[in-house]
Amino acid sequence: MAISTVARVGAMAALTALALTACSTGGSEAPGAAGGDCAPSDGPVTLTFTSWLPGVEEAVAIWNDENPDIQVEVQTGPNGNGGTYQNFFNQLEAGNAPDLGQIEFDAMPNFRVQDGLENIAACDGILEAEDQFVPWTWSQVTFGEEDAVYAIPQDTGPMAMFYRADLFEAAGIAVPETWEDYQAAAAQIREQGGYINNFSQSDINAFAGLVWQAGGEWFANDGEQWEVNLTGEETTQVAEYWQGMIEQDLVAVYPPWTDEWNAAYNSSEIWTWVSAVWGANTIASGAPDTAGKWAVAPMPQWEAGASAAGNWGGSTTAVLKGSDHPYEAAQFALWLNSDADALTAMNKTANIYPATIEGANLPVFGEGVEFYGGQKIYEVFAEAGNNVDPDFTWGPTMTQVYNDVADGFSGAVSGSGTLLEALQSGQSSTIDALKAAAIPVKE
Amino acid sequence: MTATTASRRSAEPAKPGRSAKTVKPSKARAGGHSGIRESAVSRTIAMAVMVVATLYFLTPIWWLFVASSKTRADFTTTAPLWFADFALFENIAALFDYRNAVFLRWLANSALYAGIGALIATIIAAMAGYAIAKYTFRGRETLFNVILGGVLVPATALALPLFLLFSQVGATNTIWAVFLPSLVSPFGVYLSRIYAAASVPDEIIEAARIDGAGEVRTFFTVATRLMAPALVTIFLFQFVAIWNNFFLPLIMLRDESLFPVTLGLYVWNTQVSQIPDIRALVIVGSLLSIIPLILTFLGLQRFWQSGLANGGLK
Amino acid sequence: MTDIAVRKSRGIRHRGALAVFLVPFGALFALFYVIPIGYAVYQSLLVVERDGTFGPAVQVFGGLTQYIAVFENEAFWSSIGRVLLFGVVQVPIMLGVALILALLLDSPLVRGSKFFRLAFFAPYAVPSVIAAIMWGFLYSPNLSPFTGVTQNVDFLSAESVLWSIANVVTWVYVGYNMLIIYSALLAIPSEIYEAARLDGASQFRIAWSIKIPLVVPALVLTGIFSIIGTLQLLAEPQVFQSFSSAVTSTFTPNLTIYSTASIPNISLAAAMSVVLALATFVLSFTVLKLTQRRTAA
Repeated sequence: MAISTVARVGAMAALTALALTACSTGGSEAPGAAGGDCAPSDGPVTLTFTSWLPGVEEAVAIWNDENPDIQVEVQTGPNGNGGTYQNFFNQLEAGNAPDLGQIEFDAMPNFRVQDGLENIAACDGILEAEDQFVPWTWSQVTFGEEDAVYAIPQDTGPMAMFYRADLFEAAGIAVPETWEDYQAAAAQIREQGGYINNFSQSDINAFAGLVWQAGGEWFANDGEQWEVNLTGEETTQVAEYWQGMIEQDLVAVYPPWTDEWNAAYNSSEIWTWVSAVWGANTIASGAPDTAGKWAVAPMPQWEAGASAAGNWGGSTTAVLKGSDHPYEAAQFALWLNSDADALTAMNKTANIYPATIEGANLPVFGEGVEFYGGQKIYEVFAEAGNNVDPDFTWGPTMTQVYNDVADGFSGAVSGSGTLLEALQSGQSSTIDALKAAAIPVKE
Repeated sequence: MTATTASRRSAEPAKPGRSAKTVKPSKARAGGHSGIRESAVSRTIAMAVMVVATLYFLTPIWWLFVASSKTRADFTTTAPLWFADFALFENIAALFDYRNAVFLRWLANSALYAGIGALIATIIAAMAGYAIAKYTFRGRETLFNVILGGVLVPATALALPLFLLFSQVGATNTIWAVFLPSLVSPFGVYLSRIYAAASVPDEIIEAARIDGAGEVRTFFTVATRLMAPALVTIFLFQFVAIWNNFFLPLIMLRDESLFPVTLGLYVWNTQVSQIPDIRALVIVGSLLSIIPLILTFLGLQRFWQSGLANGGLK
Repeated sequence: MTDIAVRKSRGIRHRGALAVFLVPFGALFALFYVIPIGYAVYQSLLVVERDGTFGPAVQVFGGLTQYIAVFENEAFWSSIGRVLLFGVVQVPIMLGVALILALLLDSPLVRGSKFFRLAFFAPYAVPSVIAAIMWGFLYSPNLSPFTGVTQNVDFLSAESVLWSIANVVTWVYVGYNMLIIYSALLAIPSEIYEAARLDGASQFRIAWSIKIPLVVPALVLTGIFSIIGTLQLLAEPQVFQSFSSAVTSTFTPNLTIYSTASIPNISLAAAMSVVLALATFVLSFTVLKLTQRRTAA
């Protein structure tokens, strides 16, 4: 095999002229091949699956044991924005993408716009699987199109509030139920030398989760063109709220995911974190000295008595364009993300929180968690998951949006500009980026 | 650029044999009898500069070593530049144990890509540089300038075209996709041209011709020996370049078992926020990944220096 | 160059040998540099056309459209300005330190030069990515060994992060540049300064009037490669993004290209790469000409 590869590489020069012409049109061949039909392949097949989920091999091994004729080979790489998405785009351009790939919800529209996804709606059992999944996740993989399914939801990140039950109790501060309470509590905590939260300047998708909770929408798509709305009423409300918290020095501004940030939690400087379900593990490992002192409550609300929740993160398993075996790939994707054994295995190695309704009932989610004083924290998240607005739409260039807004947000936390101004400039740079990529956009 | 450097060089390593041989004893002498003139003050200042520089260069590496020896809890809570519970071997064991010792596999891959890649790259670059230095042919300068121009191109620009190229022959995600492009070292051609012009006298080539040796044989038996210091230098630089490169493997490889160690550590580093325990592995892995390079330096540097001193006419 | 006349008659005679020498490198260079560059240039001339929000994309010839977009792209040009500022400050400092250390190693003032040589060169063994991660800890306000300094000076703020990155680059490459200069110093025949030494010139005097002028070509070489390296900065700022929010996605030209390519807007990224390569060429060529004129004068 080695030798034949050398020979092939030797022939490369001759093929290059061909390459230059073939590549320019490669991406747009055979539009809409799927959707109409989806037939099983003859004989045994081997599927390739690229995922950066740690330990996903263990779940795949279960499938491979049960399905000798459909073997799945796991390939890995850095997380999506760390390079794997870029690799997918290169591979799609070259026509050698893996059969299946992990794609986060916020990157789905990008792959759809670049025509990188197979429509697996016609494959056996896929359309019928809708009922198994949390409603908002399904709308993310269909883009609201009829007879279309472009991926199977894998995991979600319903949001809630992690808080230091011990500190709140000792200080005699009530656990905030509204954002107004939250700000009042912030002032009291600040008097004691702590911070209620850390404003994560670079986690724009966390900020999006807050906007999502408030009922805002950043993108809309009517089939003709995209509409960008980073400065809508709800977004403005959320931005001004946090701007005020920053200006009054009521929140810390450590760069998230650094050791500084972990240390601030570990030393009890920061009292709460409004975050997603997977954050439970982040705190447990980042702030080990605070074990047993945390608890989880629903997100504070904009209207007293409401129960809206946001979502931060979550992935899908998509069948990438050009797969020779979309039928088998779709079956595997559905199994991986709905089978109890597979979900348990992935939860064990990578802390995923399943996107299926039944997933929330896995035994592992029914237990009290010691780090949270024995609270059955997943009940809070399961409830939150049901309260996530299904209409939120991601745009086709989210990496760019995150980058541009984060650039402005980091200015805002260090005192130059405001969060709202960062969103305004993100609004215009996003429209420019869409135009530059020839994606129709309403100005 | 070539003109000045080449003419300077031709005056210089031209006689590396002589110069270096005389440098050493004369230095020893100078050190002895200039002791009065080079006052204790300048000596002290010089040593002080050296010590400060050493602290600057070695403290971060020391920090990495100390950090690798700590348990996860001690890492954030104990003094960063001194040991707490010495857990280096436990950490190394955990690293080797993680995912079926994939880290060892990465180390081996890096050694393969960088070792064999740099060796072949050195030979190829030396041949090209030698030919450009010692033969006149039409387009010689143009060819040389085009090769040098290769240094100007940003790696990000080559990424996608290279990927598409390898895709055409179905060779992405194979060792060849990483190995073959790293055989090209424009800087190596540049260095070996300069050294060949300076350290391989035309008379020797003529003499070999008169003895009836072929051109290619003359290169491999005579010229490479004269150019040895340059060849070791090119090898060293290319070895480091391949070892440190993670951009090309990042684009080309999907199969974890083919990763070089830098890409593997990069991938783990992107997973730290998901699985914080990996951070300890990244730190101890970083330490282990630079040890082979430092060993290569130690081994080759002596060779390099002795090459500088003894190369040239034998 | 007295041997040119001799060589001239030789050229054609050794065609076979020339082929053996040049073809291996030439073929690989053509495959992995020339053809990809050609493809990037071709790509930079295309624009995408699309029909509707999810309509298939078609690439068509767009002439210089992408180049116009590059010239109108403020972020790209301010990233070039940023690395130029970086280069103007960092390259002279790095080469100055490298020169001083090389001269000291070469002087009889220093004992144990073998150890120092290795100590200074060791950081070159640390891959950029790992060096940046390490320094990230050293700069950290809470975890640094030098918290006394880092709690008072924010090395990761918008004003200082560029120079914090400059320090990382300096740390890695001083030893490398020092070795190149040092090997040029070793190659100076000692007779040249033996006489000066006997005349009673101090080491400083010998270094200043004899050694430095002789290693100027080595300084020019390292200078040009440093300039090229500066314009192509990528790994260090990319890693710094994870602990300093002041490092934007358009902090350096290469980072701008990288984020543009991941939109993915490949044609615009290709046009930026071409412009960056040309800018690098113009700059290194100018520096070369300027230094040549000065050394000639």
